[in-house]
Amino acid sequence: MSRPTLATVSLGGCEGCHVALLDAHERLLDLLAAADLVHSPFSGEEEIPENVDVVMVEGAITTEEDLRRLLAARAAATTLVAVGSCAVLGGIGGLRNLDPVEEVTATAFGDAAGSKSERLPRLRRRVQPVTDFVDVEISVPGCAPETQLIVDALTAAVTGTPYELDRRNLCDECPREKQTLLEHSSEFVSDSVVALMELDEIDEKRCLLEQGLICMGPMTREGCGAKCTSMNVPCRGCMGPSRMEFEQGAKTIDALAAVLPAGAIMYMDDLIGTSYRFSMPVSVFPAAYQHEGGEDA
Amino acid sequence: MALGVYVSRCAGRVDAALDVGDALDGVASRAAVTRVFDDFFDVGVADSIVADVSAHGLDAVVLAGHSEEHYRKSLSASHLIDRIAEAGVNPNRIVAANILEQCALAHPDDRAGATAKARAIIGVAADRAGSGDAVEGESVRPKCSVMVLGASAEAFVAAQRLLRLGYSVVLADREDGCARAGRAQSMHATASYVLGHPAATIVDSSRLVDGDGFLGDYHLVLESPEGTVTYEVGGILLARPDHTEWVEELRRHFRVDVDDSGFARSLDPTMHPAETVDEGIMVMPLRRSDAKESEKVAAADAAAMALVLKLSHDTVVRYRHTSVVDESLCGGCATCVRTCAFGACYIGDDGFSHVDARRCVGCGKCVVSCPVGARDILSSPHDHLMRAVRDLAQVETTSDKVIGFLCGGCGYPAADHAAKTVAERGEGYPSSFLPVRIPCGGRLDTLYVLEAFKAGFDGVCVYRCRDGHCHNRVGNLDMDRRVNLLRTVLRSRNIDDARLRIVDISPFEGDHFVDTLNEVYATIGGLTNGKGGAL
Repeated sequence: MSRPTLATVSLGGCEGCHVALLDAHERLLDLLAAADLVHSPFSGEEEIPENVDVVMVEGAITTEEDLRRLLAARAAATTLVAVGSCAVLGGIGGLRNLDPVEEVTATAFGDAAGSKSERLPRLRRRVQPVTDFVDVEISVPGCAPETQLIVDALTAAVTGTPYELDRRNLCDECPREKQTLLEHSSEFVSDSVVALMELDEIDEKRCLLEQGLICMGPMTREGCGAKCTSMNVPCRGCMGPSRMEFEQGAKTIDALAAVLPAGAIMYMDDLIGTSYRFSMPVSVFPAAYQHEGGEDA
Repeated sequence: MALGVYVSRCAGRVDAALDVGDALDGVASRAAVTRVFDDFFDVGVADSIVADVSAHGLDAVVLAGHSEEHYRKSLSASHLIDRIAEAGVNPNRIVAANILEQCALAHPDDRAGATAKARAIIGVAADRAGSGDAVEGESVRPKCSVMVLGASAEAFVAAQRLLRLGYSVVLADREDGCARAGRAQSMHATASYVLGHPAATIVDSSRLVDGDGFLGDYHLVLESPEGTVTYEVGGILLARPDHTEWVEELRRHFRVDVDDSGFARSLDPTMHPAETVDEGIMVMPLRRSDAKESEKVAAADAAAMALVLKLSHDTVVRYRHTSVVDESLCGGCATCVRTCAFGACYIGDDGFSHVDARRCVGCGKCVVSCPVGARDILSSPHDHLMRAVRDLAQVETTSDKVIGFLCGGCGYPAADHAAKTVAERGEGYPSSFLPVRIPCGGRLDTLYVLEAFKAGFDGVCVYRCRDGHCHNRVGNLDMDRRVNLLRTVLRSRNIDDARLRIVDISPFEGDHFVDTLNEVYATIGGLTNGKGGAL
């Protein structure tokens, strides 16, 4: 029996997930021993061949071309693996969904926006995850996902073994210790909300929320190994929600309003950008309404 | 699932305003049996439903007619539910559909609208009954003892009655009330009887520093110069409901409603002057110090009787595990621990959230605070509430459609009371207002508001207890913070947050309910844009 075939495709994204895959270094050899790599963004040919056993897609659907290539990938693939927050959640580019596409185009391309050039991408009205258009067999969120997660997912796909990430929130694997959060008290765990650089001194061991930092850990699926919080950096939420139906934005409000002063949360720099940073396109309202008559006065 | 749906015409008041057959039609295909009675509280109705339970193997029952509050308040009405439960239907699957107070009586001149609304309300109740997880009942033998807080004259009379009936009594006063009563001329014999009784424990200069439990089995910790002692009692009588320090100490551990003065109040001053939301806690139904002795005696009798009615059983059943944790989702983030006002949540050595069933009152704030949906409350389940929002959005209405999230402690009873306002004014409110009962303002997940706008509601109203009145202490304030933060989210999507309104209300303010609702309709009627719906 011949070895299974593997292809990778990059859609609307930064190719950071491919870089994360390359970070596997010698572990890639094991993967390539188990499967034949028949196509990738680095292999030269534009179109994915027909009938590939496993196709990894990175990136969101932001242009018509992304959609065309996704559908081709789906048609070719027996097993489709969505890798990265863009493919699974819409990703950070999804924040553009808050503005009309005309404004986005004008801002991005300036004077060239009106050009008829084929080289200008034709943006869709909003950014969407690949799962809005096709079924995927395996999803690996993360921006970029931990290299090992991608290797594990692709290995599972080529060997036909089941693959499922744990569903708990990041706190489950975060090594930091809670103190005040565990106490029964009607007080908030911190008087204020601060940015990392505003903190005079950071307690290396203690939960970041208890130090007044907005950490997205509670609202975010585990699996990354809590690398950021281990290094004193609050979670940015790139793994997305544990369950898609509990969107990160609303649950940031529901959860953090119980532990931090609401006024401080309200005046933090950007509640929307912080809480929906990677998952706007899979939230209850994946984009802003563009009302024909504009806003009511 | 075998569902039985029963409708009470409520002595003609329901079918005067809506078409019962049409209202039932929506669930007819789902139900194993549907039946219409003239009144649920006619003789023989309970027997008839009980017979259906065994004949059709019913495991879910909808009682369409009176408000859910009616069964909560009235011993006779709750007896109907007890009978059905004894016949084998789990109490979490017996659900009232309020088609009287908030439907027939609210929309007397809008037959089509009231019928469509009743149909939707029955549908939501059927979903709740059919999808509700069975809650586990725990039988306890009620402790044959009562703690009386506040050594008033009425307290001594009630204590005397209870002692004579064989109960032991702990009589606590904040100052030296017990000692003074022994020296007083008035009711001297009664005081002496209590003070000298071997089954009476007298604790002057005391404070209530901790407490947990439920009807039949409370643990109360009193601190006094004699030391800190834990008492195990079956019931609690707050003899000084006007003593705000006792009230405040009780409210730290148990649900007690208060009025505008911060005094503890009963469920219903006319029919149930002593009973409170906590089944085993009674308040003395008299607050005037200038009352005649005969009035004091009557009040003491009423309070003692109310307690004895609850405690004089071999067993009482307590339904536990209302708050549940899904350990495949819980990461131990502890937001639930911090949000619980009663100290009922804690993170165990296993790293998961756990619930102390003796302290949990079922307010559901932990469910909302849980960012991954690992928590749920069986009496008000998340998935059901989401479906209710979506289902109610399907009701066809002729005017703007508004969903109301009604706190069971204030907004929901106020909406019931509004039936009286509607009758007095001869004018209702739009039948396109669709109510959802939640156990506390703090149970409002912001996801429900988002879902309501997405499903097509033109407006969302949240009714919450007035400041200081929330019987879950701060559920109203928690809701405020969440909903006001959510306004930022709505605005970011170009949804006009004027469509979202928080209303402060008390349970008897039917007028205020109708007035504020009309204001909401006026506001929304002036908006042409900033609406949700399909993207």
